[in-house]
Amino acid sequence: MTAFILRRLWQMVPTLAGVILLVFFLFNWVGGDPALVLAGKVADPATIANIRRQLGVDQPYWVQLWIFVKQVFTFDFGRSWSTNEEVAHVILTRIGPTLTIMVPVMLIGTTLAVLFAVLVAYVRGTLTDRIVMIVATTAMSVSFLVYIIVFQWLFGFRFGIFPVQGWTDDFWTNLTRYAPLPIILAVLVGLAPELRLYRSFFLEELEQDYVRTARAKGLSEARVLLRHVLRNALIPILTNIGIYLPGLFVGSFLLEVFFAIPGLGREIIGAVNRSDFPVIKAVTVYLAMFTMLVNLLVDLAYRFVDPRVTFR
Amino acid sequence: MSILPRINLIAGYGGRNSKPPAGIGLLSYLRALLKSKTPRLAIIRPMPSTRLRVRAAALLACMVAAVAGVAAAAGPAQGLKVVRFAFRAVETGFDPQRVDDLYSSAVNGEIFESLLQFDYLARPVRLMPQVAERVPEPEEGGLVYTFHLKQGVYFADDPAFRGRRRELVAGDAVYALKRLRDPRNRAPYAWLVENRIVGLDEAHDAAVQSGAFDYDAPVAGLQVLDRYTLRIRLKRPDFNFLYIFTMPQTAPVAREVIEAYAADTMAHPVGTGPFRLVQWVRRSKIVLERNPVYRGDVLETAYADPKDPIDQRVIRELTGKRLPQLDRVELYPIEEEQPRFLAFMNGEHDLLQETPAAYINQVLPGGHLAPTLARAGVGFQREVAPSITYDLFQMENPVVGGYTPSQVALRRAMVLGHDRGAEIAIVRRGVDVPAQSPVPPGVVGYDAGFNSGAEQDFDPARAQALLDLYGFVDRDGDGFRERPDGSLLVIDYMHSTGGQTARALAELWEKSMRRIGIRLVPRAVQFSDQIRDRKAGKFMLASAAWAADYPDAQNFLQLLYGPYSGDSNDSRFRLPAYDRLYEQALAMPDSPERNALYREMCRLMLAYAPWRLGIDRVFVNLYRPWVLGYKKHPMYHISLRFLDVDLALQQAAAGP
Repeated sequence: MTAFILRRLWQMVPTLAGVILLVFFLFNWVGGDPALVLAGKVADPATIANIRRQLGVDQPYWVQLWIFVKQVFTFDFGRSWSTNEEVAHVILTRIGPTLTIMVPVMLIGTTLAVLFAVLVAYVRGTLTDRIVMIVATTAMSVSFLVYIIVFQWLFGFRFGIFPVQGWTDDFWTNLTRYAPLPIILAVLVGLAPELRLYRSFFLEELEQDYVRTARAKGLSEARVLLRHVLRNALIPILTNIGIYLPGLFVGSFLLEVFFAIPGLGREIIGAVNRSDFPVIKAVTVYLAMFTMLVNLLVDLAYRFVDPRVTFR
Repeated sequence: MSILPRINLIAGYGGRNSKPPAGIGLLSYLRALLKSKTPRLAIIRPMPSTRLRVRAAALLACMVAAVAGVAAAAGPAQGLKVVRFAFRAVETGFDPQRVDDLYSSAVNGEIFESLLQFDYLARPVRLMPQVAERVPEPEEGGLVYTFHLKQGVYFADDPAFRGRRRELVAGDAVYALKRLRDPRNRAPYAWLVENRIVGLDEAHDAAVQSGAFDYDAPVAGLQVLDRYTLRIRLKRPDFNFLYIFTMPQTAPVAREVIEAYAADTMAHPVGTGPFRLVQWVRRSKIVLERNPVYRGDVLETAYADPKDPIDQRVIRELTGKRLPQLDRVELYPIEEEQPRFLAFMNGEHDLLQETPAAYINQVLPGGHLAPTLARAGVGFQREVAPSITYDLFQMENPVVGGYTPSQVALRRAMVLGHDRGAEIAIVRRGVDVPAQSPVPPGVVGYDAGFNSGAEQDFDPARAQALLDLYGFVDRDGDGFRERPDGSLLVIDYMHSTGGQTARALAELWEKSMRRIGIRLVPRAVQFSDQIRDRKAGKFMLASAAWAADYPDAQNFLQLLYGPYSGDSNDSRFRLPAYDRLYEQALAMPDSPERNALYREMCRLMLAYAPWRLGIDRVFVNLYRPWVLGYKKHPMYHISLRFLDVDLALQQAAAGP
């Protein structure tokens, strides 16, 4: 297993290099000139040139690229061009609100999706199964934005159950007062596609020979489903969770904007709009690293879920 | 494992002998536990079902109580005068010389004090002293201005002052002006002093060469005559110069503070104003509290309009009070319209400035305040802002630019063919008013009698006649006109990617031009690309807007001044006659003669049509009945020092 891990870590190097090159050239070709954004509404060419010099965007591309590479390996991306805030501070302070929303979304959403998927897979072909699938398909067809607007109006304003917006620096206040509505929204919206996907995983397992054998041995349906089917369906479910996991750290931009949550997703969009390259660079690189690590961890987790899996 | 043993494990009191400390709630205990660095272990033992149920009920009760406690804690503290409201964009920071966004500047205006200010009630606006003793008179024909500062004005206490009270002196004002020209600061408002003050540009150039601005080196145009007196000498006469001293960008700052927090001056504003920053959760929450060392102020009523009901109310509510009255102000940057609107409607916020156009019909159906809001005592003010929107032609572009009769005819035809009525009725929801000149209401030099209707109002028949007359006709029968030489006529319209309004305006342009036989292709680009293309002149027609930096027509008319082409004059309009008038006006004080020059410049703009005039923005501002003293100032986004809260009314509205 150690060899497998070392090999996978080594394979991350060219991937990271690709990410660095892609981000760098995308920003320089289509990212816009940050000096123009920072120069204010009346700026002469000398002012713009001065800003470009200070930001280092007047340097040859290879020099800028080398600085970028050094930043990746020192984990020091400097300061935000627009607010002068340290990039590390930007990420560390915005990640908390994002995770406060996204971790419960992931936990609750996955639990509910797996439970419902098992249930509808068990009653497959019945009216209940069909109704659930129709509702799920319909729910998936509506834009997330519509849910946000309607739920915010309904539960925030009309019924007054939750505050419309807000955030504090106290974790519990946020979790109990400001996060519930965004969490409920994200869980409900994410439930339909996950439910459909996981249902298909369970259906596939339910048709396997070992299920017939287990039933023939006289095991209860609950035991067959929860002990055997669920365990075997866990590999594709883990893969799916692994795909979504990096998204936890970026959060949902729409949720963060509509509920005024000072999270990382909102920050990234702001950075893109302001051509704030240090922030864009740091978030992209960290996210790429995290995605690769999560993929590795998911691969390792396969072994624990299914002992038949071997590492080569 | 059931949920309860799991919670017991987390809390660390799952054992029989383990109990939460008396007198604190479970959540408080959890919080204390999480903060504790001592690792805790717990042995999970199965509990009898009855005990389990009792504990479940207790846990639920604790959680409900905690949530209720949190909810209660979120309300205003007893006896404190607190105002909450939202900004519609995020702030960048609070270093007055380094920011240019409206909302950061608005906060800076409450923390810092400028040398001058605008009277709160006077309309049209009127200059008043703030930390200056009086408004300086122009000397030597507008070349020299001498400021005498008030004595006994102190900065808010800060560790940078090492325990001493720090008085504001003339050197602080000089330091602020120099900071605007320090290349390292990348000051977006450097243009306020650029090419204006004797010796300051040279100091800037030397700093560019050496890499560091020498703040100790004297600048000929910035003389500190004594501790409280500052004399500024200009390169050329400028009678609008004083306006820049109302802006937070020129507000004096203490050098010790800037140097102490050099790494992040944006987060450490220390001023002499009525409020100080006590909490800043970037892009989420800004909390100001009353500055305890602020000297206090009173409402100036000399220039109020006795017949104006708003002025009467403000005077009634604030007379005899020492300002500021507010203890605390909470500001929330919320970019989206719905949460900003609902937060006010919900009672979470006390003010709603610039009500989103999408909700105007809910707030003011038929132009009157909605009955539900009226019953709740909500007040509203309609404000014609000193800002305009316009579309500019690139005057050096071979397709739409130029000064020949046929090119002028093409632009004028496009202006006449644009359905401005539909823009206001549909896109702007009937709120805004058509702009009659490049100079909006509320600024010095605005001429209420100036009407651009004949040149700017929708008249497709006239537009088509003009095009026919100058040879812009459809030669190939495809339904679209060609140029007089037979080449294709395709207009590129550059607009912002952001927002529904920009898209709707682009569609309106396209539809309007199709009606008169002109093919127009909208092009949505990101904000930074839009600036780049406008500065580089890489566009034919583009949308734009301008808000007054200072309330004089010159601030708007400079957008068409030839020598500013590529800087502020993005249309690159170069008309010698216009430039001569502009230069003449610049050297004149406010007078009927100067207004006549402004009027003539507006006529030239209409005649050559480098712009299509859009609208003068009208904002609807709402406030709860307990917010006292509210009157929206055209030049200030907020005026917190003049607000008060009727606590009894606020508490009555909140209920028992």
